[in-house]
Amino acid sequence: MPDYLETTVDKFIFRVATDRLYSPEGAWALADGDRVRIGITDFLQQLNGDVAFAEVKAEGTAVAAGDEVATIETIKANVEVPSPVRGTVVEVNPAMELSPEAINQDPYGDGWLAVIEATDWPADRDALLDPQAYFEVMRAQAEEEAKKL
Amino acid sequence: MSGEERKVVVVPCSGIGKTYGTVSREAAYEVVEDARPGSTGLVALSLLVLGDEDARAAVRAHPAVTIDGCKLACAAKMVQESGGHVTQGIAVLDVYRRNRELKPQGIAELNEGGQRLAHAVAAEITAVVDDILAEQEGSTHA
Repeated sequence: MPDYLETTVDKFIFRVATDRLYSPEGAWALADGDRVRIGITDFLQQLNGDVAFAEVKAEGTAVAAGDEVATIETIKANVEVPSPVRGTVVEVNPAMELSPEAINQDPYGDGWLAVIEATDWPADRDALLDPQAYFEVMRAQAEEEAKKL
Repeated sequence: MSGEERKVVVVPCSGIGKTYGTVSREAAYEVVEDARPGSTGLVALSLLVLGDEDARAAVRAHPAVTIDGCKLACAAKMVQESGGHVTQGIAVLDVYRRNRELKPQGIAELNEGGQRLAHAVAAEITAVVDDILAEQEGSTHA
């Protein structure tokens, strides 16, 4: 179980796991060597609501950092998830087929999307945000969203 | 057992401004007004929230089928909070997952997909209502 940074904005509580890196768009990357597990953040899943379907690029698909690696259809929107790393999809979370609500229930755990074999993880890593930096970005995004309520 | 006692109450979520809330209410109207008008009754979630005694009495006295548009499950929770029993809870999202071609859009007016999804939800509720009534009928004759 990772530790979390946590903030409350309006009535919502958002968590950021401290054991991984982030893109400003709300994708996370957790590396094990060059194999990088990816998913979306607690903020992004709460912002978009209940997940109806999640389609992840198939195993063997090459993606560049910023390329769409998954599309998540929620009750509010279709969310295109940009890959936080460059490489090849080597594993897709089988839960996305039958129980994509795992993204809502456990965005940093069972709700992971895919594992990507990174082409140059050190370079991608340098371009991502550490948990504290993403926490600040996310909080600003959440406060902006709260103004719309 | 009188006809009145054999009623099933249908409680849709309020979800104002939400597509899935609209689907839940449209489905409830179809069941109560068209599919099973004699054996079902609508209870407004807002009345349960207000603590309206007639609404609370209805969900306490009859089997309740709730329809929720999101995971907050307000309808199911309010029936329970009101002392009622949710005989069957239906989530619009689950029905949509089984009918992906019926993508709902719109709020005040649903698109065709939303209308068809509401019809699919209504069909599931109608089947549940029939099961409940059959069970009641069976226990009456037992």
